[in-house]
Amino acid sequence: MTKTTDSSTYQRRRLLVATLGVTALSTFGYLRYGSRQTKSISTAGASTSRTDDADARHSQVAVTTKHAATHYNNAYEFGWNKTDPARHAASFHLRPWTVTFDGLVERPGTFDVDQLMGLPFSQLEERIYDFRCVEAWSMVIPYNGRPLAELLKQVQPLSDARYVAFTSLYRPEEMPGQASPFSTLAWPYVEALTIEEAMHPLTFATFGVYGDPELPQNGMPLRITVPWKYGFKSAKFITRISFTADRPPATWHQETPAEYGWYSNVYPDISHPRWSQASERRILGQGQIERIPTRPYNGYGEAVAHLYPGDPQRYW
Amino acid sequence: MSRLLLHFGCALPGCYLTAGYLQGKLGVDPEKAVIWETGIWAFNLLILVVLLPRAARWARWPMLMQCRRAVGLWAFTYVTGHLLAFITFLLGWDIFRLGEELLKRSYILVGFIAWITLMPLAITSTKRWIQRLGPGWKRLHQGVYIAVVLAAVHYLMTVRSDYAWAGSYAMVVILILSLRFAMWRQTRGSAPLSAATRKPATTD
Repeated sequence: MTKTTDSSTYQRRRLLVATLGVTALSTFGYLRYGSRQTKSISTAGASTSRTDDADARHSQVAVTTKHAATHYNNAYEFGWNKTDPARHAASFHLRPWTVTFDGLVERPGTFDVDQLMGLPFSQLEERIYDFRCVEAWSMVIPYNGRPLAELLKQVQPLSDARYVAFTSLYRPEEMPGQASPFSTLAWPYVEALTIEEAMHPLTFATFGVYGDPELPQNGMPLRITVPWKYGFKSAKFITRISFTADRPPATWHQETPAEYGWYSNVYPDISHPRWSQASERRILGQGQIERIPTRPYNGYGEAVAHLYPGDPQRYW
Repeated sequence: MSRLLLHFGCALPGCYLTAGYLQGKLGVDPEKAVIWETGIWAFNLLILVVLLPRAARWARWPMLMQCRRAVGLWAFTYVTGHLLAFITFLLGWDIFRLGEELLKRSYILVGFIAWITLMPLAITSTKRWIQRLGPGWKRLHQGVYIAVVLAAVHYLMTVRSDYAWAGSYAMVVILILSLRFAMWRQTRGSAPLSAATRKPATTD
């Protein structure tokens, strides 16, 4: 051990250190920034397929740009990074797609998603909702669809059905987040609402956003939108809708009950353990971000507060 | 020349971020991107600081040790940038909220403590302070090991579900620390041997 080492050995070691350094740095750079390039290219000149009517309405309120709303998504099925969903969207198969209705209903069955739309996609209703993420950012997004209640009534829920459970797609070969060994979430994603919440006229069965039905990153071909709750309550990629008497599990609530309530209504006074919910960063796109105060029930209190009598803490 | 290269390399992520932010090329949420990237680069440089003595010893390349202070200062710069970005973008310079956040959210407190730990190190990084503190300087600057552990904890605490990146960083920190620990034990166990390894025979 004490014998002297040839000086050429040091030289080789130094070369190795330098090579290792450069390799590590470029690997790091590729992993972190490599995919970003493709994203900014693929998005140029998007969002031109809106009707004039929709355009006029969008100009009246500050609607988030389509690019922002379709390239900044939480869909952990595709990965934890907000740019992952858009990156994996192109290789995702939106059809064939069926939705199974079961549990406490008169007429259970499996239906094709196009059948569930009821109308041709272009004739579906458009609603501009404020979307509030539990991470204290928000967007304003035009959703295309129909009230969820219309779908639910078709299968005739029984009187003892008190909850509606939503099961999202499990397809790890197209959704790398589901295949990741590092993810702590249990797949498939499940979410649930009370039957009153699910039947509420604001709860929207959503088949597209910005007049575009082909956006898996936004939860297509079928998601729900429940605008007075944090975003994760609005289940995406829905393949099964079950009616139950007991309260069904919800993925994030199960994963970290102290951070994500079962109801998860937007309450500015009840903060997430890791950040305040009193205000939000409204993302409008093209780098435009405004800090605004968060409203109870995300501003939909007038329509939904009656669903939650008593102490809001109970409906956290 | 190599010093210039070093400073250039350390400044590069910061320049990239600043330019990207000003040109609006940091994606949909540039604010989060700045917070995130300054944090990750602070961590990268902190890891480099604790890695350099191992590398210098192994490769018998004392020049690597001489880089250490500069890299450390750059690390502190990115940590400070990270904190300022957090205060600017997430708190809107509401200092009362900073106090509230520190009290309520432990991951912010952990990150803040890491910054505080690094502060005296940054201040005493001049030649004059090295002379003034003598052997105490080296002891004080072992504080970087505390900071890097806090950084790993801070990162892990921010994870919502996928531990791949934060976990890898923590593993790297554990690995380097165990190397350091092994070195300490070796120094205690056999003084003459370590004395021999400590002083490189030649410097070329």
